[in-house]
Amino acid sequence: MKAVFKWTGLLVLGLVLGIALAVWQIRNSGLGNDVRVGPWTTGRDIGTAHADMKTRAVVALRGLLALPAQEARYFTAATDSAGAPLSGKCRYALTGGMIEARWWSVTLYDPGGWLIPNRWNRHSIGSGRIPVGRAGGWTVLIGPEEQPGLWIPTGTDGAFELTLRTYRPHGTLARDPARISLPTITRGECRP
Amino acid sequence: MIRRLASLAVVVAAALGSYYGTLATAPYGLMWLAEAKLAKSGPVNHFTHTPPVRAERQFVVRPSPDLLYSVCPYDLTAGPLEVTAVPVPGRYSSISVFDARTDVAFVRNDEQMGGEPMRVVLALEGQQTPAGIDTVRVRYATGIVLQRVLLADPSEAAAIDPIRSKARCRTLTG
Repeated sequence: MKAVFKWTGLLVLGLVLGIALAVWQIRNSGLGNDVRVGPWTTGRDIGTAHADMKTRAVVALRGLLALPAQEARYFTAATDSAGAPLSGKCRYALTGGMIEARWWSVTLYDPGGWLIPNRWNRHSIGSGRIPVGRAGGWTVLIGPEEQPGLWIPTGTDGAFELTLRTYRPHGTLARDPARISLPTITRGECRP
Repeated sequence: MIRRLASLAVVVAAALGSYYGTLATAPYGLMWLAEAKLAKSGPVNHFTHTPPVRAERQFVVRPSPDLLYSVCPYDLTAGPLEVTAVPVPGRYSSISVFDARTDVAFVRNDEQMGGEPMRVVLALEGQQTPAGIDTVRVRYATGIVLQRVLLADPSEAAAIDPIRSKARCRTLTG
């Protein structure tokens, strides 16, 4: 009888450890870690039957209903270009150029992937908002206080993430996303 | 020594099994939760045309405020599902089908529609479908059909609504 309890206990311990590790990995993995471009990461097999188990589970939790790469590539950044975690207390300049896609947008989320309420009801900037003639060199400001021009409020003092959606990617973005240039994220002043 | 190794082997084997089991089943569970949530805001096998996304109105994780979404949670148990839609002129739109494992079974965007209405039937293996219509065979009875329409500004939603509302999900019976 004692032996039965012992083996049952070991079995339960193993099951709990395995589940805990899987849940921790799903909750703490980026939305696709196959390709890294500066602070941005993406996955090659998001939304497809070729995705491995971990990718599929992470996408289900953090980006359910994501499209496959030929339709849309999703890049996520949780740090600035210097590697520091994005903080809602800080100002950032997101500076980029031409992106090989039919349209793109940058959206700010909390680390769980949810929009953060703010009094401006503003959460993203799309390529349609970039002034004519500036597509090759643009800057979007991100920060807790209202700023002139293209601006996204952080809406929080805590951590946040940025998702860059590129719909109908073409050229190098479609063929080999590891070789493209993506917007840089430069931190400015932070409030205490 | 052997008993200790045997104990360790049991723990490792159980941990590996539950680790991979959790990774494998999580997508089904999360998709099921999403389908159940959507079914509360509209009937199964019908499109619900949701208003522009706001922080207090997020039907799914990581929604895009730049897109108007229409969702049709489906169940093919009673028969195949006919999906029809028309592209919204001059802007990105698409119809995509996500199965119960979260895999994309079908995508068609406005460029591929060529300005024409689209019609497709989702069916399980063995289900009879009408001749002459594109058929997508899916592995699972449930999933979600999603229509996306690019929204440059939330104020455009009123003008787009009459067109995107032409999207239909309909169970084919008999």
